[in-house]
Amino acid sequence: MNASPEVALRVSALSKSFGRVTALDGLDLTVTTGEVHGFLGPNGSGKTTTIRILLGLLRADSGTVSMLGGDPWRDAVDLHARLAYVPGDVTLWPGVTGGEVIDLLGRMRGRPDRRRRDDLLEMFDLDPSRKARTYSKGNRQKVALIAALASDVELLLLDEPTSGLDPLMESVFQQCIQEVRKQGRTVLLSSHILAEAEALCDRVSIIRRGRTVETGTLAELRHLTRTSITVETRDPITGVETMPGVHDAVLETRHARFDVDTAQLEAVVCRLAPLGVRSLTSTPPTLEEMFLRHYGADPADGGAGGAS
Amino acid sequence: MTGTLGLLRFMLRRERRGLPWWLLGVALLWLTQSGQSQNLYGTPEDLAELRSTAEGNAAVVVMNGPARLLDSIGGEIVFEMFGFVAVVLALMNIFMVGRQTRGDEETGRAELIRSARVGRRAPLAAALALAGAADLAAGVIVCAVVVATGLPVGSSVLLGAATAVVPATFAALTAVTAQLFESARSVYGSAAALLGGAFALRAAGDAGSGALSWLSPIGWGQRIYPYVADRWWPLLLPLAAIAVLTTMAVALLDRRDFGHGLVAPRPGRPVASAAFSNAYGLAWRLQRTALTGWLAGLVLLGLAYGSMGDSMQQYVDDHPEIAEFLPGGAARVLDSYLALTIALSALIASAYGVSSVLRTRGEETSGHAESVLATRTSRLRWLAGHLSVTLAGTTLALVAIGLGEGVAYALSVSDATQVPRVVGAALAYLPAVWSVAAVGVLAMGWLPRAAAAAGWTVVGYCAIVSLFGDSFDLPGWTRAASPFDHTPQVPLDALDAAPLVVLTLITGALLAAGYAGLRRRDIGY
Repeated sequence: MNASPEVALRVSALSKSFGRVTALDGLDLTVTTGEVHGFLGPNGSGKTTTIRILLGLLRADSGTVSMLGGDPWRDAVDLHARLAYVPGDVTLWPGVTGGEVIDLLGRMRGRPDRRRRDDLLEMFDLDPSRKARTYSKGNRQKVALIAALASDVELLLLDEPTSGLDPLMESVFQQCIQEVRKQGRTVLLSSHILAEAEALCDRVSIIRRGRTVETGTLAELRHLTRTSITVETRDPITGVETMPGVHDAVLETRHARFDVDTAQLEAVVCRLAPLGVRSLTSTPPTLEEMFLRHYGADPADGGAGGAS
Repeated sequence: MTGTLGLLRFMLRRERRGLPWWLLGVALLWLTQSGQSQNLYGTPEDLAELRSTAEGNAAVVVMNGPARLLDSIGGEIVFEMFGFVAVVLALMNIFMVGRQTRGDEETGRAELIRSARVGRRAPLAAALALAGAADLAAGVIVCAVVVATGLPVGSSVLLGAATAVVPATFAALTAVTAQLFESARSVYGSAAALLGGAFALRAAGDAGSGALSWLSPIGWGQRIYPYVADRWWPLLLPLAAIAVLTTMAVALLDRRDFGHGLVAPRPGRPVASAAFSNAYGLAWRLQRTALTGWLAGLVLLGLAYGSMGDSMQQYVDDHPEIAEFLPGGAARVLDSYLALTIALSALIASAYGVSSVLRTRGEETSGHAESVLATRTSRLRWLAGHLSVTLAGTTLALVAIGLGEGVAYALSVSDATQVPRVVGAALAYLPAVWSVAAVGVLAMGWLPRAAAAAGWTVVGYCAIVSLFGDSFDLPGWTRAASPFDHTPQVPLDALDAAPLVVLTLITGALLAAGYAGLRRRDIGY
């Protein structure tokens, strides 16, 4: 598959199993150049496996992967010169200092930027002269983040990069990613912190059990899902709860609360209008609600949104 | 002190896999030594001969202890074993106390324990009680073993007491260093360095006037002179030291914060040195400490072997009947001895080689390799970095053996040309040692999870073939499978290059095959 210039990476029908455990089961993912792409899913859904395949550390069983115009398995070393990676579980050599790890990884990646490194050390408030065995989880995370952000690369592969960071550092991280986006670089951000994804991502892909279940901009995803409506009318409300696409309705004569599939929103509003709407609030679903709906208690509810 | 008893039970449980082996090993050492010595030096004449030999050979005294011990057969056994066993048991104490105190504090486990109804001093008290119990067990076992081999009971009890009390001094010493340093490594390192110092003081004292030996716990133990003078009062010295050190440890413990030491850790380099910039720099940095340790141990082993070479010749001269059992006959006693000891040391060098390969595999399982392989470092380069340590490290290991044995031997026979000769003989084993390590690489490439088992099995197999091949009369093919069997037994045999070239080629093929496996498999599984 030839990646078109604006596609930074494209994965289709990717499968990988470890023995009897299926980690990826036909996963699709497309990230365009210059975007921050959220890669969302609960623990064990296959995010890390996907990223390891993108790094050429694991070999895919089937499916096609192309990244920065190359094949991650075959062209691993050339591609690695153009990307930086933050592992989800940062383990550092206990007897090596944080500063040394940052320098080592920077030099191994090529083109280390000493100024940028020192700026980042200050922004993230990290003491580079301490041995890694004395770092807390958050500090180990900072080491990996600084090593990745200090390098001048086209693509950042970040696997849950902010786990263990405090809110202050989380906001520093978000600033850094905004800056990366301004520079036109591409970011694949695996996360299960949805507020972070909402703040940073242009588009997101939600995966579940090794498959992509949703992908698109946040606006598009919202369109496919439900909007919460609270309405108060002059005349008594009847029949709304039985309309297609309306869920979880609570009716009290002239007051109603319900969720409606966004595709059916127009029909419902038309039905309400003649009743004399006195007040109406509509809340688009948060990413968290969308996410929970995919992994919630009711599996029948788990398909792509829209008319059922 | 609340909770000490519960903690002690918990610690015993955690040590139950390791402790029995230390004790069993010590028991076996005394058992074999006692049997062997009574066999070899059974008559007073033999013993007197040995004593005159030893007194004329400073190296023997330096390695073992004061020659006065050689006045009786029991003393001879103590002469050969006590210093060595004291070091082994001291190491057991250092690791045990260090692990159970500072080690737990460093990993954070102790935090969980101390948050429960457990007093501040309880972990230290329990660790010292654990060490004390282990030392007591060692003393009782050693006493029982030597009595069982026919030595007098009274003196054996003194020996047992010395066996318990001398190593316990190092438990108390470790309790102090555990308060000083924040990292468990520094605790082990400082205590082990003091142990080395104690051995060196004893060695220098025994070779000289004897005064320096009184500064060393190992020297105290030997100056009880069990089976010779049977003095009990030197036991008071280690007991006093234990009391002083324990009081000091408790006082320091009461004055420090949890998780901190009294010596602030030195800050490391905030910026990496120029050498720390690629797979080679990383691999050498990660493996240099272990390599240094192995090299130091092998030099010491070589020195020990080499210093005994001359006495070996005299011994065979005195007992010509033994010469019949030597492969080189009476004429070449020393060459037989050198060939045998170098072959044994080379087996240890191959164990180092396998441990170095497994360190590489450890980089993978710990997740460190993932960060490195996500950079421009290829799998080949990553492997080459670590293999450069394995291949050069095994070479250095053989040089260390050769230098230690060569220098000690050259000194004892006053012939400097023996140094290059013995170093050369040791290096003849390089292809064999490399090929064993290369089997580890092959396993790492194709059966990564079984790499450790495969590597150690090969080392064990070669050791069994080398050590017991003759006595068990193993069939020819089982011996042919060991690379050591194809290495000419220099300096006894002439150096034949052909098998060495073949072994080197096999090594190359195994390494290439291992890399081929590594290249096509998943990393980290």
